[in-house]
Amino acid sequence: MSVAVGAAGRAGAPWFWAIAGLRRALELGAFLALAAFILGPLLTLLVWAAAGTWLFPNLLPEFSLRWWYYVLGNENVVKAIRMSFLSAPVATLLSAVICIPAAYAFARLEFPGRRLLLLSFLSANAFPKIGLYVSIATLFYRLNLMDTFAGVVMIQLINTLLFMIWIPTGTFRGINRNLEDAARDVGAGPLRTFFNITLPIALPGLIVASLFAFLAAFDEAQGTLIVGTPNHMTMPVMMYTLVLSYPQPVGAVFSVLLSLPSLLFLLLAQRYLRAGYLAAGYSL
Amino acid sequence: MTDSRRQGALGLALVLPPLLVLIFLIIVPAVSAVIDTLHPPEGAGWTLTNYALILGNRVLRSDIRFSIVVTLAAVAVTFCLSYPLALYLRFTKGRLPSLLAVLFTIPLFVPVVIASFAMITFLVNHGMVSTVLYRMGIEWFPPLVYNATGIVLTEVWTTIPFAVLILGAGLQAIDDALIDGARDVGAGPLRTFVSIILPLNATPTMITLTLLFIGIFGSFTIPYLVGGNAPQMLGVTMTNYLTQYLRRLDAVTIAVIAFLIAAAVGALYVVSVSRRERHAL
Repeated sequence: MSVAVGAAGRAGAPWFWAIAGLRRALELGAFLALAAFILGPLLTLLVWAAAGTWLFPNLLPEFSLRWWYYVLGNENVVKAIRMSFLSAPVATLLSAVICIPAAYAFARLEFPGRRLLLLSFLSANAFPKIGLYVSIATLFYRLNLMDTFAGVVMIQLINTLLFMIWIPTGTFRGINRNLEDAARDVGAGPLRTFFNITLPIALPGLIVASLFAFLAAFDEAQGTLIVGTPNHMTMPVMMYTLVLSYPQPVGAVFSVLLSLPSLLFLLLAQRYLRAGYLAAGYSL
Repeated sequence: MTDSRRQGALGLALVLPPLLVLIFLIIVPAVSAVIDTLHPPEGAGWTLTNYALILGNRVLRSDIRFSIVVTLAAVAVTFCLSYPLALYLRFTKGRLPSLLAVLFTIPLFVPVVIASFAMITFLVNHGMVSTVLYRMGIEWFPPLVYNATGIVLTEVWTTIPFAVLILGAGLQAIDDALIDGARDVGAGPLRTFVSIILPLNATPTMITLTLLFIGIFGSFTIPYLVGGNAPQMLGVTMTNYLTQYLRRLDAVTIAVIAFLIAAAVGALYVVSVSRRERHAL
Protein backbone atom coordinates (compact mmCIF):
# COMPACT_ATOMS: atom_id res chain seq x y z
CA MET A 1 0.00 0.00 0.00
CA SER A 2 2.81 2.38 0.82
CA VAL A 3 3.99 2.24 -2.78
CA ALA A 4 0.48 2.99 -4.01
CA VAL A 5 0.14 5.91 -1.66
CA GLY A 6 3.57 7.11 -2.63
CA ALA A 7 2.75 6.82 -6.28
CA ALA A 8 -0.19 9.11 -5.85
CA GLY A 9 2.23 11.37 -3.99
CA ARG A 10 1.74 14.17 -6.48
CA ALA A 11 -1.50 14.88 -4.74
CA GLY A 12 0.20 15.35 -1.33
CA ALA A 13 2.39 12.86 0.48
CA PRO A 14 2.25 10.82 3.67
CA TRP A 15 4.50 12.15 6.44
CA PHE A 16 7.38 9.72 5.95
CA TRP A 17 7.50 10.53 2.25
CA ALA A 18 9.01 13.87 3.21
CA ILE A 19 12.13 12.09 4.50
CA ALA A 20 13.93 11.99 1.17
CA GLY A 21 16.46 9.34 2.22
CA LEU A 22 13.81 6.88 3.36
CA ARG A 23 11.86 7.38 0.17
CA ARG A 24 14.88 6.75 -2.03
CA ALA A 25 15.77 3.67 0.00
CA LEU A 26 12.24 2.26 -0.30
CA GLU A 27 12.15 2.89 -4.04
CA LEU A 28 15.59 1.43 -4.62
CA GLY A 29 14.87 -1.62 -2.44
CA ALA A 30 11.65 -2.40 -4.32
CA PHE A 31 13.42 -1.87 -7.63
CA LEU A 32 16.29 -4.21 -6.76
CA ALA A 33 13.92 -6.91 -5.50
CA LEU A 34 11.92 -6.77 -8.73
CA ALA A 35 15.10 -6.75 -10.83
CA ALA A 36 16.40 -9.83 -9.00
CA PHE A 37 13.09 -11.62 -9.49
CA ILE A 38 12.85 -10.81 -13.21
CA LEU A 39 16.49 -11.01 -14.26
CA GLY A 40 17.68 -13.72 -11.85
CA PRO A 41 16.19 -16.70 -13.71
CA LEU A 42 17.30 -15.39 -17.11
CA LEU A 43 20.88 -14.74 -15.98
CA THR A 44 21.07 -18.18 -14.36
CA LEU A 45 19.94 -19.67 -17.65
CA LEU A 46 22.56 -17.70 -19.60
CA VAL A 47 25.33 -18.91 -17.31
CA TRP A 48 24.12 -22.49 -17.74
CA ALA A 49 24.32 -22.08 -21.52
CA ALA A 50 28.05 -21.43 -21.21
CA ALA A 51 28.66 -24.11 -18.60
CA GLY A 52 30.42 -27.41 -19.01
CA THR A 53 29.70 -28.63 -15.52
CA TRP A 54 28.31 -26.64 -12.60
CA LEU A 55 28.55 -28.19 -9.17
CA PHE A 56 26.80 -27.02 -6.00
CA PRO A 57 27.71 -24.82 -4.11
CA ASN A 58 29.96 -23.04 -6.60
CA LEU A 59 28.67 -19.63 -7.60
CA LEU A 60 30.02 -20.05 -11.13
CA PRO A 61 30.43 -23.11 -13.34
CA GLU A 62 33.41 -24.43 -15.22
CA PHE A 63 32.89 -22.77 -18.61
CA SER A 64 32.85 -24.75 -21.84
CA LEU A 65 31.14 -24.62 -25.21
CA ARG A 66 30.92 -28.37 -25.72
CA TRP A 67 27.13 -28.48 -25.25
CA TRP A 68 26.75 -26.10 -28.18
CA TYR A 69 28.38 -28.66 -30.47
CA TYR A 70 26.17 -31.32 -28.96
CA VAL A 71 22.93 -29.35 -29.59
CA LEU A 72 23.77 -28.09 -33.06
CA GLY A 73 24.97 -31.54 -34.09
CA ASN A 74 21.66 -33.13 -33.06
CA GLU A 75 19.57 -34.05 -36.08
CA ASN A 76 16.21 -33.62 -34.30
CA VAL A 77 17.15 -30.13 -33.16
CA VAL A 78 18.04 -29.05 -36.68
CA LYS A 79 14.75 -30.50 -37.92
CA ALA A 80 12.82 -28.55 -35.29
CA ILE A 81 14.62 -25.31 -36.20
CA ARG A 82 13.69 -25.81 -39.84
CA MET A 83 10.06 -26.60 -38.95
CA SER A 84 9.79 -23.45 -36.79
CA PHE A 85 11.21 -21.12 -39.41
CA LEU A 86 8.95 -22.65 -42.03
CA SER A 87 5.63 -22.69 -40.16
CA ALA A 88 5.72 -19.39 -38.22
CA PRO A 89 6.31 -17.16 -41.30
CA VAL A 90 3.57 -19.00 -43.20
CA ALA A 91 1.13 -18.52 -40.32
CA THR A 92 2.06 -14.83 -39.96
CA LEU A 93 1.72 -14.13 -43.68
CA LEU A 94 -1.60 -15.95 -43.88
CA SER A 95 -2.82 -14.03 -40.85
CA ALA A 96 -1.76 -10.68 -42.35
CA VAL A 97 -3.46 -11.41 -45.66
CA ILE A 98 -6.81 -12.30 -44.11
CA CYS A 99 -6.80 -9.96 -41.10
CA ILE A 100 -5.51 -6.60 -42.33
CA PRO A 101 -8.38 -6.01 -44.81
CA ALA A 102 -10.80 -7.05 -42.07
CA ALA A 103 -9.15 -4.62 -39.65
CA TYR A 104 -9.61 -1.83 -42.20
CA ALA A 105 -13.29 -2.75 -42.50
CA PHE A 106 -13.69 -2.72 -38.71
CA ALA A 107 -12.10 0.71 -38.51
CA ARG A 108 -13.64 2.46 -41.51
CA LEU A 109 -16.73 0.76 -42.90
CA GLU A 110 -20.24 0.65 -41.52
CA PHE A 111 -21.80 -2.80 -41.63
CA PRO A 112 -24.35 -4.70 -39.55
CA GLY A 113 -22.98 -6.50 -36.48
CA ARG A 114 -19.64 -4.72 -36.62
CA ARG A 115 -19.21 -4.30 -32.88
CA LEU A 116 -20.24 -7.86 -32.07
CA LEU A 117 -17.97 -9.32 -34.75
CA LEU A 118 -14.99 -7.32 -33.51
CA LEU A 119 -15.65 -8.53 -29.99
CA SER A 120 -15.95 -12.12 -31.20
CA PHE A 121 -12.23 -12.08 -31.97
CA LEU A 122 -11.61 -11.86 -28.26
CA SER A 123 -13.20 -15.27 -27.87
CA ALA A 124 -9.86 -16.98 -28.52
CA ASN A 125 -8.77 -15.40 -25.25
CA ALA A 126 -11.99 -16.15 -23.44
CA PHE A 127 -11.32 -19.90 -23.42
CA PRO A 128 -8.67 -21.73 -21.47
CA LYS A 129 -6.18 -22.29 -24.32
CA ILE A 130 -5.33 -25.88 -23.53
CA GLY A 131 -9.01 -26.89 -23.45
CA LEU A 132 -9.40 -25.34 -26.87
CA TYR A 133 -6.42 -27.30 -28.23
CA VAL A 134 -7.79 -30.55 -26.86
CA SER A 135 -11.12 -29.85 -28.61
CA ILE A 136 -9.34 -28.89 -31.82
CA ALA A 137 -7.35 -32.12 -31.66
CA THR A 138 -10.54 -34.19 -31.66
CA LEU A 139 -11.70 -32.27 -34.75
CA PHE A 140 -8.29 -32.69 -36.43
CA TYR A 141 -8.38 -36.48 -35.81
CA ARG A 142 -11.54 -36.64 -37.91
CA LEU A 143 -10.13 -34.40 -40.66
CA ASN A 144 -6.75 -36.17 -40.73
CA LEU A 145 -4.99 -32.94 -39.83
CA MET A 146 -3.12 -34.41 -36.86
CA ASP A 147 0.65 -34.44 -37.33
CA THR A 148 0.53 -32.38 -40.54
CA PHE A 149 2.15 -29.09 -41.52
CA ALA A 150 -1.28 -27.53 -42.21
CA GLY A 151 -2.48 -28.51 -38.75
CA VAL A 152 0.53 -26.87 -37.09
CA VAL A 153 0.06 -23.67 -39.13
CA MET A 154 -3.62 -23.52 -38.15
CA ILE A 155 -2.78 -23.83 -34.44
CA GLN A 156 -0.28 -20.99 -34.80
CA LEU A 157 -2.82 -18.95 -36.77
CA ILE A 158 -5.22 -18.94 -33.79
CA ASN A 159 -2.59 -17.23 -31.68
CA THR A 160 -1.97 -14.50 -34.26
CA LEU A 161 -5.63 -13.50 -34.83
CA LEU A 162 -6.05 -11.20 -31.85
CA PHE A 163 -2.85 -9.24 -32.62
CA MET A 164 -3.59 -8.99 -36.34
CA ILE A 165 -7.18 -7.78 -35.87
CA TRP A 166 -7.00 -5.49 -32.85
CA ILE A 167 -3.70 -3.65 -33.35
CA PRO A 168 -4.37 -2.81 -37.05
CA THR A 169 -7.98 -1.82 -36.26
CA GLY A 170 -6.64 0.64 -33.68
CA THR A 171 -4.04 1.88 -36.14
CA PHE A 172 -6.53 2.49 -38.96
CA ARG A 173 -8.92 4.17 -36.53
CA GLY A 174 -6.15 6.54 -35.48
CA ILE A 175 -5.55 7.86 -39.02
CA ASN A 176 -7.08 11.24 -39.67
CA ARG A 177 -9.96 10.82 -42.11
CA ASN A 178 -9.36 14.29 -43.58
CA LEU A 179 -6.17 13.06 -45.25
CA GLU A 180 -8.08 10.36 -47.09
CA ASP A 181 -10.94 12.74 -47.96
CA ALA A 182 -8.44 15.24 -49.37
CA ALA A 183 -6.95 12.58 -51.65
CA ARG A 184 -10.43 11.62 -52.82
CA ASP A 185 -11.23 15.30 -53.48
CA VAL A 186 -8.30 15.69 -55.84
CA GLY A 187 -9.54 12.70 -57.79
CA ALA A 188 -7.81 9.60 -56.36
CA GLY A 189 -9.92 6.44 -56.42
CA PRO A 190 -10.53 4.42 -53.27
CA LEU A 191 -7.77 1.88 -54.01
CA ARG A 192 -5.24 4.56 -54.88
CA THR A 193 -6.15 6.46 -51.70
CA PHE A 194 -5.66 3.31 -49.64
CA PHE A 195 -2.28 2.40 -51.11
CA ASN A 196 -0.85 5.94 -51.35
CA ILE A 197 -2.24 7.54 -48.18
CA THR A 198 -3.69 5.09 -45.66
CA LEU A 199 -1.21 2.23 -45.96
CA PRO A 200 2.01 4.26 -45.59
CA ILE A 201 0.66 5.99 -42.47
CA ALA A 202 -0.54 2.71 -40.98
CA LEU A 203 2.67 0.82 -41.77
CA PRO A 204 4.41 1.08 -38.37
CA GLY A 205 1.31 -0.26 -36.61
CA LEU A 206 0.98 -3.07 -39.14
CA ILE A 207 4.66 -3.97 -38.71
CA VAL A 208 4.33 -4.14 -34.94
CA ALA A 209 1.20 -6.27 -35.30
CA SER A 210 3.02 -8.65 -37.67
CA LEU A 211 6.02 -8.94 -35.36
CA PHE A 212 3.75 -9.74 -32.42
CA ALA A 213 1.90 -12.25 -34.54
CA PHE A 214 5.16 -13.85 -35.66
CA LEU A 215 6.35 -14.23 -32.07
CA ALA A 216 2.98 -15.62 -30.99
CA ALA A 217 3.18 -18.20 -33.80
CA PHE A 218 6.87 -18.93 -33.27
CA ASP A 219 6.52 -19.42 -29.50
CA GLU A 220 3.37 -21.55 -29.63
CA ALA A 221 4.19 -24.76 -27.79
CA GLN A 222 1.26 -26.45 -26.06
CA GLY A 223 -1.05 -26.71 -29.08
CA THR A 224 1.72 -27.86 -31.41
CA LEU A 225 2.76 -30.48 -28.85
CA ILE A 226 -0.73 -31.97 -29.10
CA VAL A 227 -1.29 -31.53 -32.84
CA GLY A 228 2.23 -31.86 -34.28
CA THR A 229 3.82 -34.78 -32.41
CA PRO A 230 5.77 -36.79 -33.39
CA ASN A 231 6.82 -35.63 -36.86
CA HIS A 232 6.07 -31.91 -36.86
CA MET A 233 7.90 -30.67 -33.77
CA THR A 234 8.77 -26.97 -33.65
CA MET A 235 11.54 -25.51 -31.49
CA PRO A 236 9.34 -24.73 -28.45
CA VAL A 237 7.91 -28.26 -28.57
CA MET A 238 11.45 -29.65 -28.68
CA MET A 239 12.10 -27.66 -25.50
CA TYR A 240 9.70 -29.88 -23.51
CA THR A 241 11.80 -32.95 -24.26
CA LEU A 242 15.07 -31.13 -23.66
CA VAL A 243 13.93 -29.72 -20.30
CA LEU A 244 12.54 -33.01 -19.05
CA SER A 245 15.14 -35.51 -20.16
CA TYR A 246 18.47 -33.86 -20.96
CA PRO A 247 21.25 -32.32 -18.81
CA GLN A 248 20.65 -28.66 -17.83
CA PRO A 249 23.15 -27.09 -20.29
CA VAL A 250 21.36 -28.65 -23.28
CA GLY A 251 18.09 -26.91 -22.39
CA ALA A 252 19.98 -23.70 -21.70
CA VAL A 253 21.80 -23.69 -25.04
CA PHE A 254 18.56 -24.39 -26.88
CA SER A 255 16.78 -21.63 -24.92
CA VAL A 256 19.35 -19.14 -26.17
CA LEU A 257 18.75 -20.29 -29.76
CA LEU A 258 14.99 -20.06 -29.26
CA SER A 259 15.22 -16.51 -27.84
CA LEU A 260 17.12 -15.11 -30.81
CA PRO A 261 13.98 -14.14 -32.80
CA SER A 262 12.55 -12.35 -29.76
CA LEU A 263 15.78 -10.43 -29.22
CA LEU A 264 15.91 -9.48 -32.88
CA PHE A 265 12.29 -8.34 -32.62
CA LEU A 266 13.10 -6.13 -29.63
CA LEU A 267 15.89 -4.46 -31.59
CA LEU A 268 13.83 -4.04 -34.76
CA ALA A 269 10.68 -2.77 -33.11
CA GLN A 270 12.22 -0.63 -30.36
CA ARG A 271 11.51 2.58 -32.23
CA TYR A 272 7.83 1.73 -32.67
CA LEU A 273 7.42 0.26 -29.20
CA ARG A 274 8.55 3.54 -27.73
CA ALA A 275 5.95 5.32 -29.81
CA GLY A 276 3.31 3.56 -27.73
CA TYR A 277 2.14 0.80 -30.06
CA LEU A 278 2.79 -1.75 -27.35
CA ALA A 279 0.44 0.02 -24.98
CA ALA A 280 -2.04 0.54 -27.84
CA GLY A 281 -2.17 -3.20 -28.38
CA TYR A 282 -3.15 -3.68 -24.76
CA SER A 283 -5.59 -0.84 -24.25
CA LEU A 284 -8.53 -2.90 -25.47
CA MET B 1 -28.84 4.50 -49.42
CA THR B 2 -27.39 2.14 -52.05
CA ASP B 3 -23.97 3.49 -51.16
CA SER B 4 -24.35 2.46 -47.53
CA ARG B 5 -25.70 -0.93 -48.61
CA ARG B 6 -22.62 -1.39 -50.78
CA GLN B 7 -20.36 -0.39 -47.91
CA GLY B 8 -22.10 -2.87 -45.64
CA ALA B 9 -21.63 -5.69 -48.13
CA LEU B 10 -17.97 -4.79 -48.68
CA GLY B 11 -17.38 -4.63 -44.92
CA LEU B 12 -18.88 -8.06 -44.35
CA ALA B 13 -16.92 -9.51 -47.27
CA LEU B 14 -13.63 -8.19 -45.86
CA VAL B 15 -14.40 -9.48 -42.37
CA LEU B 16 -15.50 -12.90 -43.61
CA PRO B 17 -12.08 -14.67 -44.02
CA PRO B 18 -10.83 -14.22 -40.43
CA LEU B 19 -14.34 -14.92 -39.23
CA LEU B 20 -14.27 -18.29 -41.03
CA VAL B 21 -10.97 -19.08 -39.31
CA LEU B 22 -12.56 -18.19 -36.00
CA ILE B 23 -15.58 -20.38 -36.71
CA PHE B 24 -13.58 -23.34 -37.96
CA LEU B 25 -10.84 -23.25 -35.32
CA ILE B 26 -12.67 -22.07 -32.24
CA ILE B 27 -16.43 -22.26 -32.45
CA VAL B 28 -16.80 -25.57 -34.31
CA PRO B 29 -14.31 -27.44 -32.05
CA ALA B 30 -15.85 -25.97 -28.92
CA VAL B 31 -19.42 -26.81 -29.95
CA SER B 32 -18.59 -30.28 -31.25
CA ALA B 33 -16.67 -30.99 -28.03
CA VAL B 34 -19.71 -30.15 -25.97
CA ILE B 35 -21.96 -32.28 -28.20
CA ASP B 36 -19.56 -35.25 -28.03
CA THR B 37 -19.52 -35.24 -24.26
CA LEU B 38 -23.31 -35.01 -23.98
CA HIS B 39 -24.09 -37.42 -26.81
CA PRO B 40 -21.39 -40.11 -26.95
CA PRO B 41 -21.25 -41.91 -30.32
CA GLU B 42 -21.56 -45.41 -28.83
CA GLY B 43 -24.43 -44.64 -26.45
CA ALA B 44 -27.94 -43.65 -27.44
CA GLY B 45 -29.43 -40.26 -26.66
CA TRP B 46 -28.31 -37.40 -24.51
CA THR B 47 -26.66 -38.10 -21.19
CA LEU B 48 -24.62 -36.48 -18.44
CA THR B 49 -22.83 -39.74 -17.54
CA ASN B 50 -19.45 -38.47 -18.73
CA TYR B 51 -19.64 -35.49 -16.43
CA ALA B 52 -20.84 -37.63 -13.53
CA LEU B 53 -17.89 -39.98 -14.07
CA ILE B 54 -15.32 -37.19 -14.24
CA LEU B 55 -16.74 -35.26 -11.29
CA GLY B 56 -17.10 -38.50 -9.33
CA ASN B 57 -13.38 -39.19 -9.68
CA ARG B 58 -11.62 -38.15 -6.47
CA VAL B 59 -8.28 -37.45 -8.17
CA LEU B 60 -9.89 -35.25 -10.81
CA ARG B 61 -11.90 -33.38 -8.19
CA SER B 62 -8.70 -32.59 -6.32
CA ASP B 63 -7.13 -31.44 -9.62
CA ILE B 64 -10.04 -29.06 -10.18
CA ARG B 65 -9.72 -27.67 -6.66
CA PHE B 66 -5.95 -27.38 -7.02
CA SER B 67 -6.31 -25.50 -10.36
CA ILE B 68 -8.72 -22.97 -8.89
CA VAL B 69 -6.66 -22.36 -5.75
CA VAL B 70 -3.34 -22.02 -7.61
CA THR B 71 -4.94 -19.73 -10.22
CA LEU B 72 -6.50 -17.48 -7.57
CA ALA B 73 -3.19 -17.29 -5.70
CA ALA B 74 -1.25 -16.42 -8.86
CA VAL B 75 -3.83 -13.80 -9.91
CA ALA B 76 -3.73 -12.23 -6.44
CA VAL B 77 0.07 -12.04 -6.30
CA THR B 78 0.36 -10.71 -9.87
CA PHE B 79 -2.29 -8.09 -9.22
CA CYS B 80 -0.78 -6.94 -5.91
CA LEU B 81 2.59 -6.45 -7.62
CA SER B 82 1.25 -4.96 -10.86
CA TYR B 83 -1.15 -2.33 -9.56
CA PRO B 84 1.42 -0.46 -7.44
CA LEU B 85 3.92 -0.79 -10.30
CA ALA B 86 1.45 0.65 -12.82
CA LEU B 87 0.62 3.51 -10.41
CA TYR B 88 4.29 4.21 -9.81
CA LEU B 89 5.03 4.31 -13.56
CA ARG B 90 2.03 6.57 -14.20
CA PHE B 91 2.71 9.15 -11.53
CA THR B 92 6.49 9.25 -11.17
CA LYS B 93 9.09 10.64 -13.53
CA GLY B 94 12.83 10.10 -13.46
CA ARG B 95 15.60 7.64 -14.17
CA LEU B 96 14.38 4.83 -11.92
CA PRO B 97 10.85 4.70 -13.40
CA SER B 98 12.12 4.69 -16.97
CA LEU B 99 14.53 1.87 -16.12
CA LEU B 100 11.63 0.06 -14.46
CA ALA B 101 9.47 0.53 -17.56
CA VAL B 102 12.04 -1.44 -19.57
CA LEU B 103 12.61 -4.04 -16.85
CA PHE B 104 9.02 -5.09 -16.35
CA THR B 105 8.36 -5.73 -20.07
CA ILE B 106 11.21 -8.24 -20.40
CA PRO B 107 9.12 -11.37 -19.60
CA LEU B 108 6.79 -10.41 -22.47
CA PHE B 109 9.52 -11.36 -24.93
CA VAL B 110 10.49 -14.64 -23.29
CA PRO B 111 8.63 -17.72 -24.54
CA VAL B 112 6.82 -19.50 -21.71
CA VAL B 113 8.82 -22.69 -22.21
CA ILE B 114 12.06 -20.80 -21.66
CA ALA B 115 10.62 -18.88 -18.71
CA SER B 116 9.65 -22.15 -17.03
CA PHE B 117 13.07 -23.66 -17.62
CA ALA B 118 14.83 -20.50 -16.40
CA MET B 119 12.69 -20.55 -13.28
CA ILE B 120 13.65 -24.18 -12.64
CA THR B 121 17.38 -23.46 -12.89
CA PHE B 122 16.86 -20.46 -10.60
CA LEU B 123 14.72 -22.06 -7.88
CA VAL B 124 15.56 -25.75 -7.93
CA ASN B 125 17.32 -27.40 -5.01
CA HIS B 126 21.05 -26.70 -5.60
CA GLY B 127 20.00 -24.01 -8.11
CA MET B 128 20.92 -20.33 -8.03
CA VAL B 129 18.72 -19.24 -5.10
CA SER B 130 19.70 -22.23 -3.04
CA THR B 131 23.41 -21.59 -3.76
CA VAL B 132 23.18 -17.95 -2.71
CA LEU B 133 21.23 -18.84 0.45
CA TYR B 134 23.75 -21.59 1.27
CA ARG B 135 26.60 -19.08 0.98
CA MET B 136 24.69 -16.85 3.39
CA GLY B 137 24.44 -19.70 5.87
CA ILE B 138 20.81 -20.68 5.26
CA GLU B 139 20.79 -24.38 4.53
CA TRP B 140 17.12 -25.23 4.78
CA PHE B 141 14.14 -23.58 3.12
CA PRO B 142 10.89 -24.98 1.70
CA PRO B 143 11.12 -26.45 -1.84
CA LEU B 144 10.39 -23.75 -4.44
CA VAL B 145 9.75 -25.76 -7.62
CA TYR B 146 7.91 -28.94 -8.61
CA ASN B 147 4.99 -27.80 -6.42
CA ALA B 148 2.30 -25.09 -6.21
CA THR B 149 4.82 -22.45 -5.10
CA GLY B 150 6.83 -22.98 -8.29
CA ILE B 151 3.71 -22.69 -10.47
CA VAL B 152 2.60 -19.48 -8.76
CA LEU B 153 6.06 -17.86 -8.95
CA THR B 154 6.47 -18.71 -12.65
CA GLU B 155 2.93 -17.60 -13.55
CA VAL B 156 3.57 -14.30 -11.76
CA TRP B 157 6.86 -13.87 -13.62
CA THR B 158 5.24 -14.38 -17.02
CA THR B 159 2.06 -12.35 -16.43
CA ILE B 160 3.42 -9.19 -14.75
CA PRO B 161 4.06 -7.26 -18.01
CA PHE B 162 0.61 -8.06 -19.37
CA ALA B 163 -1.10 -6.90 -16.15
CA VAL B 164 0.99 -3.72 -15.83
CA LEU B 165 0.39 -2.80 -19.49
CA ILE B 166 -3.40 -3.08 -19.30
CA LEU B 167 -3.64 -1.38 -15.90
CA GLY B 168 -1.18 1.28 -17.06
CA ALA B 169 -3.16 1.99 -20.22
CA GLY B 170 -6.22 2.52 -18.03
CA LEU B 171 -4.37 4.83 -15.63
CA GLN B 172 -2.94 6.79 -18.55
CA ALA B 173 -6.47 7.61 -19.63
CA ILE B 174 -7.25 9.34 -16.32
CA ASP B 175 -7.07 13.08 -16.75
CA ASP B 176 -4.41 14.80 -14.61
CA ALA B 177 -6.86 17.64 -14.04
CA LEU B 178 -9.15 15.36 -12.03
CA ILE B 179 -6.31 14.38 -9.72
CA ASP B 180 -5.08 17.95 -9.33
CA GLY B 181 -8.67 18.99 -8.68
CA ALA B 182 -9.01 16.46 -5.88
CA ARG B 183 -5.79 17.74 -4.33
CA ASP B 184 -6.96 21.32 -4.59
CA VAL B 185 -10.05 20.59 -2.52
CA GLY B 186 -7.85 18.99 0.12
CA ALA B 187 -7.95 15.23 -0.60
CA GLY B 188 -4.92 13.28 0.63
CA PRO B 189 -3.23 10.67 -1.57
CA LEU B 190 -5.18 7.78 -0.08
CA ARG B 191 -8.48 9.61 -0.57
CA THR B 192 -7.51 10.53 -4.15
CA PHE B 193 -6.65 6.92 -4.86
CA VAL B 194 -9.83 5.45 -3.37
CA SER B 195 -12.34 7.96 -4.73
CA ILE B 196 -10.81 9.02 -8.07
CA ILE B 197 -8.24 6.57 -9.43
CA LEU B 198 -9.78 3.27 -8.30
CA PRO B 199 -13.29 3.87 -9.72
CA LEU B 200 -12.04 5.45 -12.97
CA ASN B 201 -9.76 2.48 -13.56
CA ALA B 202 -12.42 -0.09 -12.65
CA THR B 203 -12.99 -1.47 -16.18
CA PRO B 204 -9.31 -2.13 -16.98
CA THR B 205 -9.02 -3.67 -13.54
CA MET B 206 -11.87 -6.08 -14.26
CA ILE B 207 -10.40 -6.91 -17.67
CA THR B 208 -7.00 -7.56 -16.15
CA LEU B 209 -8.35 -9.81 -13.40
CA THR B 210 -10.52 -11.91 -15.71
CA LEU B 211 -7.88 -12.28 -18.44
CA LEU B 212 -5.31 -13.23 -15.81
CA PHE B 213 -7.67 -15.84 -14.38
CA ILE B 214 -8.52 -17.38 -17.75
CA GLY B 215 -4.90 -17.31 -18.96
CA ILE B 216 -3.47 -18.90 -15.85
CA PHE B 217 -6.33 -21.36 -15.40
CA GLY B 218 -5.85 -22.62 -18.95
CA SER B 219 -2.07 -22.84 -18.80
CA PHE B 220 -0.26 -26.05 -19.55
CA THR B 221 3.45 -25.38 -20.02
CA ILE B 222 4.14 -23.91 -16.58
CA PRO B 223 2.35 -26.55 -14.47
CA TYR B 224 3.69 -29.30 -16.77
CA LEU B 225 7.32 -28.27 -16.35
CA VAL B 226 7.36 -26.51 -12.96
CA GLY B 227 4.53 -28.32 -11.13
CA GLY B 228 4.63 -31.56 -9.16
CA ASN B 229 3.09 -34.94 -9.98
CA ALA B 230 -0.22 -34.77 -8.11
CA PRO B 231 -2.43 -32.89 -7.70
CA GLN B 232 -1.88 -31.24 -11.09
CA MET B 233 -3.59 -28.36 -12.87
CA LEU B 234 -6.37 -29.22 -15.33
CA GLY B 235 -4.32 -28.24 -18.38
CA VAL B 236 -1.84 -31.01 -17.61
CA THR B 237 -4.56 -33.47 -16.62
CA MET B 238 -6.52 -33.11 -19.86
CA THR B 239 -3.38 -33.29 -22.01
CA ASN B 240 -2.37 -36.50 -20.22
CA TYR B 241 -5.82 -37.98 -20.83
CA LEU B 242 -5.54 -37.11 -24.52
CA THR B 243 -1.95 -38.03 -25.32
CA GLN B 244 -0.87 -40.50 -22.61
CA TYR B 245 -3.99 -42.46 -21.63
CA LEU B 246 -5.58 -42.03 -25.09
CA ARG B 247 -8.99 -41.32 -23.55
CA ARG B 248 -10.15 -38.60 -25.91
CA LEU B 249 -13.70 -38.28 -24.61
CA ASP B 250 -12.57 -37.93 -20.99
CA ALA B 251 -10.03 -35.30 -22.06
CA VAL B 252 -12.75 -33.32 -23.84
CA THR B 253 -15.11 -33.63 -20.87
CA ILE B 254 -12.43 -32.16 -18.60
CA ALA B 255 -11.89 -29.43 -21.19
CA VAL B 256 -15.60 -28.55 -21.16
CA ILE B 257 -15.58 -28.38 -17.35
CA ALA B 258 -12.62 -26.01 -17.59
CA PHE B 259 -14.52 -23.98 -20.24
CA LEU B 260 -17.49 -23.66 -17.91
CA ILE B 261 -15.38 -22.46 -14.98
CA ALA B 262 -13.63 -19.96 -17.25
CA ALA B 263 -16.91 -18.95 -18.90
CA ALA B 264 -18.29 -17.84 -15.56
CA VAL B 265 -15.27 -15.57 -15.20
CA GLY B 266 -15.23 -14.67 -18.91
CA ALA B 267 -18.78 -13.31 -18.71
CA LEU B 268 -17.44 -10.55 -16.49
CA TYR B 269 -14.80 -9.77 -19.11
CA VAL B 270 -17.19 -9.50 -22.03
CA VAL B 271 -19.53 -7.28 -20.04
CA SER B 272 -16.76 -4.83 -19.14
CA VAL B 273 -15.24 -4.79 -22.66
CA SER B 274 -18.55 -4.22 -24.40
CA ARG B 275 -19.27 -1.36 -22.02
CA ARG B 276 -15.90 0.11 -23.02
CA GLU B 277 -16.54 -0.42 -26.74
CA ARG B 278 -19.90 1.33 -26.53
CA HIS B 279 -18.15 4.39 -25.13
CA ALA B 280 -15.48 4.26 -27.82
CA LEU B 281 -17.87 4.21 -30.77
